[in-house]
Amino acid sequence: MQEGRVLPPEQINKDLLNSIMSTPKWYWPAVGICSLIVLIAATIVGYMINKGLGITGLNRPVMWGFFITNFVFWIGISHAGVMLSAILRLAKAEWRRPASRAAEVLTIFSLMTAMTMPIIHTGRPWRSLYWFFPYDFARGIFPNIRSPLVWDPSAILTYLTSSVLFVFIALIPDFAILRDNTTGLRKKIYTALSMGWQGNARQWKLQIVAGILLSALILPVFVSVHSIVSWDFGMAVSVKAWHSTVFAPYFVVGAVHSGVSAVIFVLILLRQAYGWQDYIRREHVEALCRLLIVVSTGWFYYFCMEIIFGIYGREADEVAIRTLQFTLYPWNWIMIIFIVTTYFLPILLWSRKVWRRNLLIVSIACISVNIGMWLERYILFVPGQINKQLFTFTWANYTPTIFEGIIVLGTFALVTLLLLLFSKVMPLIPLYDIKEGDILKTEVQIGRRTVPATFRED
Amino acid sequence: MAELKTLNHHYKDMWVFPDADDLAGLPAKATSIGINKLLLWLTLILTAIGVVGFVMRASADGLNDYEPWGYYMAAFSFVFMVTAPAPLVSVAFRLIRSHWRRPLTRIAEIFALVGIVNFVLYIPLMLMIPEIANPNGAGHHSLDIRRTLWIQVPWGAPHFWETMAMLSLPVMSCLILLLSATPDMSASIQFVSGIKKKFYMLVAGYWKGSKRQWLVMQAAIGALGGLYFLTLPFVQFLISTDFGMSLIAGWKDSIFPAIYTLMGFQTSLAAILIVLYIFRRWGGFENFIGASQFWSASKILLGLSLLWIYHMFAFFITFWYGRMEVEQNILNYLYVDSWFWIFIINALGSWLIPFLILVWNPVRRADWGAPLAAVFVLIGALMFNIRIFVGAFNAGREQIYDISITFVPDAVGPDIWDLCMVIGIIGLACLVYLIGLRIFPVMNIWEIKEGAMYQKMGRLFRGNYLVLAKPE
Amino acid sequence: MVIKIEHKWGMVVDLDKCTGCNGCVVACQAENNLPINTKDLFMQKRAFEWIRIERYWEGEFPNVKARYLPVMCQHCGNAPCEPVCPVYATYHNDQGLNVQVYNRCVGTRYCINNCTYQVRFFNFWEPTWPERLQNQLNPDVTVRTRGITEKCTFCVQRIRRAEITVERRERTKLNDKTMAARNFMPACVQACPTNALMFGDQNNQEDKIHGYFEELHNHEGHSDSRGYRILEEIGTDPSVIYLKKVDQFKMEHSESHG
Repeated sequence: MQEGRVLPPEQINKDLLNSIMSTPKWYWPAVGICSLIVLIAATIVGYMINKGLGITGLNRPVMWGFFITNFVFWIGISHAGVMLSAILRLAKAEWRRPASRAAEVLTIFSLMTAMTMPIIHTGRPWRSLYWFFPYDFARGIFPNIRSPLVWDPSAILTYLTSSVLFVFIALIPDFAILRDNTTGLRKKIYTALSMGWQGNARQWKLQIVAGILLSALILPVFVSVHSIVSWDFGMAVSVKAWHSTVFAPYFVVGAVHSGVSAVIFVLILLRQAYGWQDYIRREHVEALCRLLIVVSTGWFYYFCMEIIFGIYGREADEVAIRTLQFTLYPWNWIMIIFIVTTYFLPILLWSRKVWRRNLLIVSIACISVNIGMWLERYILFVPGQINKQLFTFTWANYTPTIFEGIIVLGTFALVTLLLLLFSKVMPLIPLYDIKEGDILKTEVQIGRRTVPATFRED
Repeated sequence: MAELKTLNHHYKDMWVFPDADDLAGLPAKATSIGINKLLLWLTLILTAIGVVGFVMRASADGLNDYEPWGYYMAAFSFVFMVTAPAPLVSVAFRLIRSHWRRPLTRIAEIFALVGIVNFVLYIPLMLMIPEIANPNGAGHHSLDIRRTLWIQVPWGAPHFWETMAMLSLPVMSCLILLLSATPDMSASIQFVSGIKKKFYMLVAGYWKGSKRQWLVMQAAIGALGGLYFLTLPFVQFLISTDFGMSLIAGWKDSIFPAIYTLMGFQTSLAAILIVLYIFRRWGGFENFIGASQFWSASKILLGLSLLWIYHMFAFFITFWYGRMEVEQNILNYLYVDSWFWIFIINALGSWLIPFLILVWNPVRRADWGAPLAAVFVLIGALMFNIRIFVGAFNAGREQIYDISITFVPDAVGPDIWDLCMVIGIIGLACLVYLIGLRIFPVMNIWEIKEGAMYQKMGRLFRGNYLVLAKPE
Repeated sequence: MVIKIEHKWGMVVDLDKCTGCNGCVVACQAENNLPINTKDLFMQKRAFEWIRIERYWEGEFPNVKARYLPVMCQHCGNAPCEPVCPVYATYHNDQGLNVQVYNRCVGTRYCINNCTYQVRFFNFWEPTWPERLQNQLNPDVTVRTRGITEKCTFCVQRIRRAEITVERRERTKLNDKTMAARNFMPACVQACPTNALMFGDQNNQEDKIHGYFEELHNHEGHSDSRGYRILEEIGTDPSVIYLKKVDQFKMEHSESHG
């Protein structure tokens, strides 16, 4: 039996636009709380720029701490968008449909949030233009393209640009529906955004071709972004734990792991908040969880490689770092929590079909993955700096300050706030995609059973 | 059906599984394919050449020293790389419920028999592997225990544990093959005779096709497949580090086992596609093997080729950027200096040529596109194995206990007996596979029948399209 | 194209002569306008020591020996910190020095992470001096601002001053002889009471440190001489040679800890 009902298009419009057309009671309080946290964090950023990075817990061996961890975390979250919409689109997985828009939007907002992190963590943020703006500023010196830190902004900005294009192209038909359903100033804005969409055959064809082309073109960018972020660390010969060849695929797979988990959590929230039970169905959540079982196992393989080759060489300095990571307080606890929350707990929770269809259990698993993945970056980056070389004289610990914690919290609030604001002006589930899925949906009778089936797209 | 053909000119391409008439004849057809006797003799002769090569090499150099055996190792690793993941390919596609896998699962599973060859070939190598503990103890520039994944030299390391690991693979994969072939053997007992019939009775005599038997069979394949899935990367990891990486001092490269595993899947898929193409083109199975198989598999092959260069680049840039002496030496040895041309052929075969072939939609739709790319993939993989393992075996015995390699060794070409062994090992693998094709039904009859049930033609607006059911 | 490098500055540290008196550290502090290392700064692990004396204990009490290792910027020929700077704030100049352009630095701190020897320092706070020390600041050296990276320069201001003097006085193009004749040296070398530190030109045949570098390059580290370079296996090609300590009395067992 088909799990979801096939609804008439008018009903779909009405249901999915209710986040824009009406305002739930919790909406403005939620926006208020998030704004408050963002404001507090922004104030602290201002204070930090005014006073210097001294207010953080960074010190001489540990130059990159919470901010860089958080940067990599948000870059990781941003990998869900392309995974869900581009790869699954090319793979023609039907269950991608309700998840694609939320994933892409999360991609854009988490990328934007991530980009703030390296900027505020520099000593002189007001001079960042030297760094990522490819211009010689009358000094005859362009940015140093040998530096991984210059590869970073190019990859991230390319990814941001293409993701925005990707979302915008997918939004055009939905803008047209909004244009037809609004009045006044809003109608004018949506009219401009829908770019004269009439829904004729030629426009649909162009829109679909553009979507598929962008999916294919965005894939290399998708892979390169997190690879390059990983090479920020992999290129550093002087930090033993960082100089590992496996970093690039390890980071990319980890990013997909945490990103897709975050998307599932967002989807479940949307489903509960707006009553979209008919669109975000348990079968979708289950399929996403099955995907995650594969992804997380791949991630675990790379993780094992990283650890095994950490001790493979039996070099004293590297062994010292691994000893710190695995056996010394507080890293041993972080390590245990990280491994359990990233892999073993979620795998357990996704292991049974009943549990994969239980939204509460899936939410717990997805939050657990993201806690673990945040800690993963932390435990990957910081211990390597604490025990950097054989010279024990310069070893020192890192204790983050409350200010760093609040700024990190602020980034979470920022992404939530941006998502909330977005949901007010644009549909978070692609309307036309859902309708297309409904049209392609059919059934096949085998003996006494009715099996769900789809028309093949090619 | 005829009217459908006129309605939609894509009909022939779209229909994935054969209709009822074709299906009825499948059991007889699948168990009675005529393997060319000439082919069997040819592979047998190749095997004999290999045996001669082995005997000559062993009598000249003995089995104690690993250095002269580089090409033997390369050929073994090539066959292992191609054949060991093949059963997993079928298990994996079954797990994600791809419909197009159905005609190729048996072709993939029969590769399990070559696993026995792998194990036999592995035995001499196990004897050669040098001691992990340095007999001279630690020195100024050498270690007391050479760098391997056996950190503390546990009991039986590495010989016993590696043998166990190597043995577990053919055991599991042959079990998968037998289990998955049972319903088909049961269905085709009436079409076979003689000793083959006795074998079919032995394996499939109990099969009644009750619901319980089906459930147990599928659960068992799933469990074995899962176990195999966990074991295989581990064994590939053991082989690639113990016989490759750890023989070059200071080569510490965490992505290398991943590249080896990745190439395993790439080459397995390639080998399966080549066999599939031969079956379609010359074996008379064109009704069962459609263009859809190549269309779907070619996308995966394309993806794997791109993943290969991605992993390779991730390795390369880390070593190159770091500018450490040991890493520069290894890069120079295996990539840019000594083994440069072999590396170029490897990269062309594993990445560039398949990429350039498969990037075109019409080529991927055609049945010849993916198998053509697959041939290059296999050539590239052979070169990879020669480069890595001959390279590792010939980096010099005196440096394996050192902290790092301080020089760039020279590449070593094969002599006549090396060539004999390479030819012989590949011939032996082909021979065993051909024998397997004679024993087992070459098509997965029950899966194809199941697939045929899940498809129908449906009408959508003004066109007729294929409908494929996705069972939960 | 081969670029002829006229001078290539280098240093030799004789560990056998080093007494761990920290004179060099103080001299460096005064010469290079380093901020005052207050107790707070030390506790935060953000103290500035362009040259530091690392002290290690060898053996167990009472059979114990103190080992001193003065570490300053090694001015690596193949410096890991240089390629990773996104803004070219650190680069290699034509005299073999690894120099830092304060004005260019945005403070990403990647160079600090990628420095094998931990000799790069970041200004977490705005550097301040007590009122009475304001006039003590060296006019030849920039006072750095907060948010940038700084490090030992081999007292480049003294090298520059010597060059200018040579140019002015002798009205000749720079050459080895005249520069050598100026007899200038970094503050740490000047202050060292036991002459454990030697500074000179690696390219000058007649310089006192030339022989040590010659020996090291010729023997690839296998010679019996005392010279070695720290963490050389990373391939940094440092410009500082350390001479091994000669033990009068051998320890029963040697195990070092910090």
